[in-house]
Amino acid sequence: MSLFNAIDISSSGMTAQQLRVDIISNNIANADTTRTADGQPYRREIPIFAERFRETMNGMTPAGVEVVKVAKDKSPFREVYDPTNPDADKNGYVKMPNVNVLREMVDLIAAQRTYEANATVVSNVKAMASAAVQIGR
Amino acid sequence: MVSPINPIEPIKPISPEANQVANKGGADFKKILENAINKVNDTVSNAEKLSNDFATGKTSDIHSVIIAAEKADIMLQLTNEVKNKIVEAYREIMRMQI
Repeated sequence: MSLFNAIDISSSGMTAQQLRVDIISNNIANADTTRTADGQPYRREIPIFAERFRETMNGMTPAGVEVVKVAKDKSPFREVYDPTNPDADKNGYVKMPNVNVLREMVDLIAAQRTYEANATVVSNVKAMASAAVQIGR
Repeated sequence: MVSPINPIEPIKPISPEANQVANKGGADFKKILENAINKVNDTVSNAEKLSNDFATGKTSDIHSVIIAAEKADIMLQLTNEVKNKIVEAYREIMRMQI
């Protein structure tokens, strides 16, 4: 609905950031995971955002953001020397996930701030609509 | 001898089209109002459905639930304002001295 276009767009932004936080939390939780289904250590996951469009009478109108894909980080695994680890190779090196917890924390803060920014847009649009309704009083 | 008083003839409409136009306008306004109210009703029931889904754990989007409720709130406020205006206009016409 055109009246609430801005609200719907911000809502899609909030949903996208929520998914990003889910992925970041999975990355942090698996920061030390050496075993996954494919036998390799855990690979860091990255959400891919894309602009979303909606078909209207005036052609394509922007309709917010969506997560089109959750990609894997292709950077090499960290190698740690720890011969006591059961997953160590014959030289005593263990392949650890390519997750940098510090970086994930920074991303987490960025996601939180973006989520808050979208929430602010929603409340401002709501205040504008309320002001318009107040004209009649 | 006194001639009988002629009965009053009913007022003829100026043209048959005038009446039709007035009727058509009334129907259109009614339709617009009905559509608007149905839309508000849809918004409110959508908000209700989302809060139900949230309560039963079908959705975990807090913001979607709150935004739907806010939308319904604003739509309802707007409808109320429009209704007040219509009632006010009706009263104004009923108060008119003829």
